[in-house]
Amino acid sequence: MATVTLRNIIKIYGEFVAIKGVDIDIEDGTFVVLVGPSGCGKSTLLRMIAGLETISHGELKIGGTLVNDLPSRDRGIAMVFQSYALYPHMSVADNLGFGLKISGVSKSEIERRRGDAATMLGLDPYMDRRPSQLSGGQRQRVAIGRAMVRQPEVFLFDEPLSNLDAKLRNQTRIEIKRLQRQLGATVVFVTHDQVEAMTLADKIVVLQDGLVAQVGSPLEVFERPKNQFVAGFMGAPSMNFIDAVVGPNNTIEAGGISLPVPADRFDLPAPGTSVTLGVRPEDIVPEGHGTRPELGADFTAPVNFAEMLGNESLLFADLGGTEMVARMQQPRPIEPDQKIGFRIDGRRVHVFDKNSQMSLLR
Amino acid sequence: MAVDITDQNFINGLIEQERRAQRPRGRWLVVPILVLTIAYLTPFYYLFVTIFKTSAEYAQKGVLELPASLAPFADNVVQAWTIAHLGQAGLNSLSYAVIGGAIAVAFAAAAAFGMTRLNLIGANGWFMLIFTGTLFPFQMYLVPLLFGYQRLGLINSWLGMLLVYVAICIPFPLLVLRNSFSGITREVDEAARIEGASEWRVFISMIVPNAKGPLIALFLLQFTFIWNDLLFSSILANGIEVRSIMVALQSLQGTYSTIGPNVVITATLISSIPTVLLFVVLRKYFMAGLQLGNK
Ligand SMILES: Nc1ncnc2c1ncn2[C@@H]1O[C@H](COP(=O)(O)OP(=O)(O)OP(=O)(O)O)[C@@H](O)[C@H]1O
Ligand SMILES: [Mg+2]
Repeated sequence: MATVTLRNIIKIYGEFVAIKGVDIDIEDGTFVVLVGPSGCGKSTLLRMIAGLETISHGELKIGGTLVNDLPSRDRGIAMVFQSYALYPHMSVADNLGFGLKISGVSKSEIERRRGDAATMLGLDPYMDRRPSQLSGGQRQRVAIGRAMVRQPEVFLFDEPLSNLDAKLRNQTRIEIKRLQRQLGATVVFVTHDQVEAMTLADKIVVLQDGLVAQVGSPLEVFERPKNQFVAGFMGAPSMNFIDAVVGPNNTIEAGGISLPVPADRFDLPAPGTSVTLGVRPEDIVPEGHGTRPELGADFTAPVNFAEMLGNESLLFADLGGTEMVARMQQPRPIEPDQKIGFRIDGRRVHVFDKNSQMSLLR
Repeated sequence: MAVDITDQNFINGLIEQERRAQRPRGRWLVVPILVLTIAYLTPFYYLFVTIFKTSAEYAQKGVLELPASLAPFADNVVQAWTIAHLGQAGLNSLSYAVIGGAIAVAFAAAAAFGMTRLNLIGANGWFMLIFTGTLFPFQMYLVPLLFGYQRLGLINSWLGMLLVYVAICIPFPLLVLRNSFSGITREVDEAARIEGASEWRVFISMIVPNAKGPLIALFLLQFTFIWNDLLFSSILANGIEVRSIMVALQSLQGTYSTIGPNVVITATLISSIPTVLLFVVLRKYFMAGLQLGNK
């Protein structure tokens, strides 16, 4: 296993700058997830690590060696594609063995490694089938197996779960994580699904528009987002944002209420300065549901719309003209336009600079 | 009122109604189809009655009349075979068609791989160059080809014929294979490259097996073209040791006075055996057409 280091990486397609100077450090044996909205450059970055795209500028090191100009096959990596890219004309067994065979590994060694991978992934019954005769989940496992048998220094995954249904996705997610622990592998995993990112990663890299917006542990990225983009991207449903003004004595005034916040949480500008207040749906607590936040502010508003999810409801209600989403635990039926009291948890809100959109968290 | 699906009469009515909707349409087409079928089969009928006639019988009876016995067939075959040297000519054509067709398709495949996968300089230019050759009638370059071959001593030679056939048979397969190959997802060869495959390996182990259907169908087409070619072989190779089967057939017709049409027709029948056989053997690939896939 190996470290992967990216320094000042830039990628230019024609005249379009897709990656705009990226630094990432991936330690040996860690599970790193690159996450971001569609088109932010995740695949591009991964394909550059794989050697499938040229690197326009910067340094890419794998295991301490500069690999910018090394062909894919000499980089010690294995990749699992979104489409799986299984060899359609080969049996599962041959799919697993192809790479070893062409690199001259002995027959017995191929058998051994292939057998291990097949057992680990439950592929034994399918070894003679063609990819077209497998279900999506089985194909997925063949693709992972094909990467495993090569015992690479680094595993690269490009949205490998996006073609699976919800249940299989959860299952496979857990399998991948378990596998990575078992092998102690270095993994770079691309997804646009923030739940996948949160659950799989040791370290999350949030990409925005070809730049790294934030790097950190899942908890860090979720609890201490560096800017409004990361705050809005991580967490579902998204964080609510509302225009606000800094009030006196560690308060934030927004939508006609004055919300007290802990004195040591923010570096707040002078009272009267415009800011953006960010509140996660779970931090807007409907009256009588969940624990009532100690520090906070109340407001009452008619519910425009309620979305019942079973174990919880999402309530859409106006706060001073901005529609906010609140999360209701152990939901009860809500009539349209029914007035409900909410309390915003002052200890968990976020405040962002109006211009730079950077978080004011201390 | 709810529908009663336990009412068997009602269900039977629905079954009949569905069946009527499923029935193939256009029953009025039967008549034109019959007419066309008869028109299509008449020459075959002519062929089958003719090969069983002696020359004398052919001259006396009407062309569509039935033969007196099946016996003359053997004699017709022997005559056709010996007078036209069909054995030698068939062997020549077989070698042109098999080797020429295979080399042409192989070259076309290599070129298509280069154009779709290797990011070669001027790939589109090469393609246009190779393909514009097919826009002009063969006759146009027949004369320069003849002079050139005379200078080079390739006239009346096996190698000369093979070269012509290979060259003529590259553009069409190239056009088809360029499409086929671009239809194979790039991620498959990227995966193979990551696993250590060289370009050659990608071509042989990934691209070719996945385009097996088109490759075989194209070979069959080129085989048939070369086998049936009369134009090039009649002008560039008339010698008995190198001439093609079609030239041999033509030579039979040239001496029309002494050899009856019953022998000529028998010879044409013999000459069509290889292409028909090949089609029967490879029809699976031919029916799948020029599509990708491997089932
Ligand atoms: N070959 C290419 N030529 C030109 N532009 C490209 C090419 N590949 C990607 N891009 C552009 O680069 C940007 C990043 O693309 P990339 O595929 O890395 O996005 P992504 O983050 O993987 O998105 P998704 O989640 O949709 O897969 C996009 O704006 C895309 O249009
Ligand atoms: Mg992508």
